[in-house]
Amino acid sequence: MALRLEPLNRSHRPLLADFQNPQASLVEYLQRYALRHAEKDLLARTYLALDASVGTPRLAGYFSLATVSVERASVARQPELDRLPRFPIPGILLARLAVDTRVRGQGLGRYLFETALGLTLQLAQTGPVAFRLFVTDALDTEAARFYHYFGLAPLGDDFPCRMVLDLRPLLAGRSST
Amino acid sequence: MSRFQALTNAVLDAELDRLRVRLGLEPNQKAELLREMAAIAGWVARQAELGRTIEARRDGESEPLVHPALERLRTPVEQPVGARLALSDAEIRRLAAILDGGFDPPPALRTALANLARADRQPPPLHWPPAA
Repeated sequence: MALRLEPLNRSHRPLLADFQNPQASLVEYLQRYALRHAEKDLLARTYLALDASVGTPRLAGYFSLATVSVERASVARQPELDRLPRFPIPGILLARLAVDTRVRGQGLGRYLFETALGLTLQLAQTGPVAFRLFVTDALDTEAARFYHYFGLAPLGDDFPCRMVLDLRPLLAGRSST
Repeated sequence: MSRFQALTNAVLDAELDRLRVRLGLEPNQKAELLREMAAIAGWVARQAELGRTIEARRDGESEPLVHPALERLRTPVEQPVGARLALSDAEIRRLAAILDGGFDPPPALRTALANLARADRQPPPLHWPPAA
């Protein structure tokens, strides 16, 4: 298989400098913070898509996953929210997802999203903890369209736009199969 | 490091000296100069962190302050991306509607779930442009 996914570790450092993406923050996160968050601070784990079909492996894309706790900023009581689960609501945050500019439009973004969702569902189904939401922040309209295509709904109208997917129906569907 | 030192020694020192003159400070007042610069830069950074646009206005014209460092402040790259998301009441109401709504996954999500269930799921083959 030419493309493989690997959790980011120190051995990948030489590959990071070549990564290209129009969103500077996605490049900067990968090159400056992702390894520290994964190995030292234990805040997020990053998975690299490495393409080995061209000889020396090249970094084609990546995504980062972290845990998240969704809370209310306001403590004012809203009766219409009484039917909701008590806050905070736990979830998994797709913190970053990016594809190298040179291989865009070839289905890698979709493959990475599927993989991130698959890892999340696997953890929700068989892991030792429960959580309800799959959350991400779309940086621009293109990203928001991409996530909306997969069923994530926006919580606001500005960018970065927080978007969520309720995992409960997906888990119920999977456990019944 | 060497590039930084070169900038510091040559370009930045000259720029700082021009600023010192503009601010009416003497050559022996470098500490005051740095204090004033830090106060101004601190204010600018706080505005950017709050997501505010910083503009120079005169008459009908305005020019926004644009700098990569301010963009980094507006997009908090280093933040561990999550941990705690505090939603506004409007966001909470939308979340309530989502959690309360029926389950009607779009075709792409159904396809994604079907792909994940396949044992022979394969990544796409990638084609890189030739190196320039």
